[in-house]
Amino acid sequence: MRRFLDGMYAAAEFLAAVSLIGVLLTVLLSVASRQLTFHISGLDAYAGYLMASAGFFALASTLRHGEHIRVTILLNVLSPSGKRRLDIGAIVVGLAVAVSLAFFSSKLVWDSWIFNDVSTSNDATPLWIPQLSMAAGNILFVIAFLDLLVARIRGQGLLIDSQEPQRNE
Amino acid sequence: MNDILIVALLIVSLFGFLAGGVWVGLTLAGTAWIGMELFSTRPAGDAMAITIWGASSSWTLTALPLFLWMGEILFRTRLSQDLFTGLAPWLNKLPGRLLHTNVIGCAIFAAVSGSSAATCATIGKMTLPELKKRGYPDNMVIGTLAGAGTLGLLIPPSIIMIVYGVAAEVSIAKLFIAGILPGIFLAVLFMGYIMVWAWRNPSQVPAADEEMSFRQKVYQSRSLFPVLILIACVLGSIYSGIATATEAAAIGVLGSLVISAFQGSLSWANFKSSLTGASRLYCMIALILAGAQFLTLSMGYIGLPRALAEWIGSLGLSQFWLIVVLMVFFIILGCFLDGISMVVLTMGVLLPTVQAAGIDLIWFGIFIVFVVEMAQLTPPVGFNLFVLAGMTKRDLPYIARVSSPLFFLMVFAVLVLYFVPELATFLPQHMKL
Repeated sequence: MRRFLDGMYAAAEFLAAVSLIGVLLTVLLSVASRQLTFHISGLDAYAGYLMASAGFFALASTLRHGEHIRVTILLNVLSPSGKRRLDIGAIVVGLAVAVSLAFFSSKLVWDSWIFNDVSTSNDATPLWIPQLSMAAGNILFVIAFLDLLVARIRGQGLLIDSQEPQRNE
Repeated sequence: MNDILIVALLIVSLFGFLAGGVWVGLTLAGTAWIGMELFSTRPAGDAMAITIWGASSSWTLTALPLFLWMGEILFRTRLSQDLFTGLAPWLNKLPGRLLHTNVIGCAIFAAVSGSSAATCATIGKMTLPELKKRGYPDNMVIGTLAGAGTLGLLIPPSIIMIVYGVAAEVSIAKLFIAGILPGIFLAVLFMGYIMVWAWRNPSQVPAADEEMSFRQKVYQSRSLFPVLILIACVLGSIYSGIATATEAAAIGVLGSLVISAFQGSLSWANFKSSLTGASRLYCMIALILAGAQFLTLSMGYIGLPRALAEWIGSLGLSQFWLIVVLMVFFIILGCFLDGISMVVLTMGVLLPTVQAAGIDLIWFGIFIVFVVEMAQLTPPVGFNLFVLAGMTKRDLPYIARVSSPLFFLMVFAVLVLYFVPELATFLPQHMKL
C-alpha cells in the first residue's frame, strides 16, 4: 500500500515536471513563431493549460513535503498532545475543502463534456481535456490528505520533512 | 445589521482557521464557500470549480512558474560563490568594506530571482562564513543580510509583483520596470547605512583584504559577466517591449540553463531537483491564488469591498493618512502572515478603496512590495528571519533585533516613495509597449 501510494505521488510529480517543461517550450515556440513569422494558433492557451496541470499534479507531493503554507505559530506553542489534536482538526478541515474541490472539479469535467464546452480563445480545445488535470490532481490531493490524517492519528510526525523551506517566497 | 454580523462571523472564522493551522489556500476557499452559501443563490461548488480553473489556467500567470524555475536553476549553480569572489575586490576600499557584498550581492541575485528568502539564503551561504572569517561583527553581517535579502522582492523579477499584478489586473511588465529605481534606491540606502556605521565604529571594521590591480579585479569577477548579461537580456527585453513578462521569463530559464551548463553545474540530478523544486513552489503559490480568487468572487457577492471603500471614503482621510494607515495595517498583518497570503487576502477587498482614493495602481503595487518586504523582517512570522535563524543557529529575536535598523530604513523609503512617486512611475511611463 505504502509503495503504491508513493509511486502514485511520484508519477504525479513527474507529470507536473513534464508540464512545466511544456510551459517553457510552448512560450519559447511562440517567441520563435513571431520572430520567424510562422503561426501556430492557440499557443497562449496551451501554455495556460500546461501551467494548470503543473500546479494540480504537484498538489499531493507538495503537501507531503510540507511545503504548502500554513500558520504554525499556535501549533508550535501547544503541548505535544494539544498540538496533535489541533493538527488533526486542521487536517480534517483541509480534507473537507479538498474533497469538495475534487468533487466539483470532476463535475466540471463532466459538464464540459456533456455540454461540449469549447475554449473561447482561438485554440478551440474541448475544455474537458485540459480540465482532467484539475480533477485528477485534486483527487490525488484528497488521497494525500487521507494519508496524512491516518499517519497523524497513528501518531506519526511529518511524513517528509521539508528540507528547503527557506525558498518559500 | 444582520449582514454585518454575518460578515464579522466570516472574518472570525477566516482568522480562526488560519490560526488553527489550516493551509492558507484551503482556508480561503473554505471561507469563500461559506460566504457564497450565505449571500448568493449561485451554486457555490460549481462557481468554485470554474473560478479556480480560470485562475489557474490564465495566460498572464505563466510568468510565475517560469521565473520560479529560473531562480531554482541559478540557486543550484556556483553563483553565490562567484558573486562573493567577484564583488569583494571592488568593495575593499569603501567604508564598511566587504559588508557591502551583502547588499550588492543580494541586489544582483534579486535581479534573477523573484524571492526574498532565496536571495537571502543564496547570498548568505557565501558571505556569512567569509565575513565571519575576516572578523566582521555578527550583528552587522546578519542585519544587513536580512535587510538586503528583501531586495529579492523589489528588484524584478518578483513573485509578489506577479501575484499583485494578477490580482489588481495591472501589467506585470510595468510593475517589474517600476521596481527597478526603488530597488536601487533602497540598496543605496542600505549601503549608506553601512558607511555611516563604519565611520562611527572604525575600530570594528576589520582590515582590508590585499588590494589587487585593476586587471586582477576584472579577472576575479569574470564569472559574473554571464549573469549580468542574462539580467540585461531579461529586463531589457521587457523594457524595450520586445517581450512580455512571460516571454522574458522563458528566455531567462533558457539563459540560466545555458549558464549553468557552461559552469558545469547542470547535472541531471540538479536539473531534476530544480524542476521538482519549482513545480512544488509554484503549486504552493497556485493553491493560495486559487483560494483567493474564489474568495474575491465571494466577497463581491457579499459587497464587502464596496462597503469598505464607501466607509473609508466617508472618513475623509487624506491620501497620505490612508497610506500610513495601510502601512501600519500591513505591518501588523505581516507579523502573522506571509507576503503572498497577505496580498491575495487583502487585494480583493482593498482595491476599490485604493482606486477611489485616486492612487495609481502601479505605484500602489510598489508600495505593497515594500510593506511585504518589511513583513519578511517582523517576528514571529518573517521568512528572512527563519532563513537566517536556520543558517546562523541564532535565535529569532536576536536576528529581528539586528535587522531592525534596516526595517526602519524601509519605513523611511516608503515615505520617500510617497513624496517622490516618480521613483516608481517614471520608468514605466517611458516604456515602449
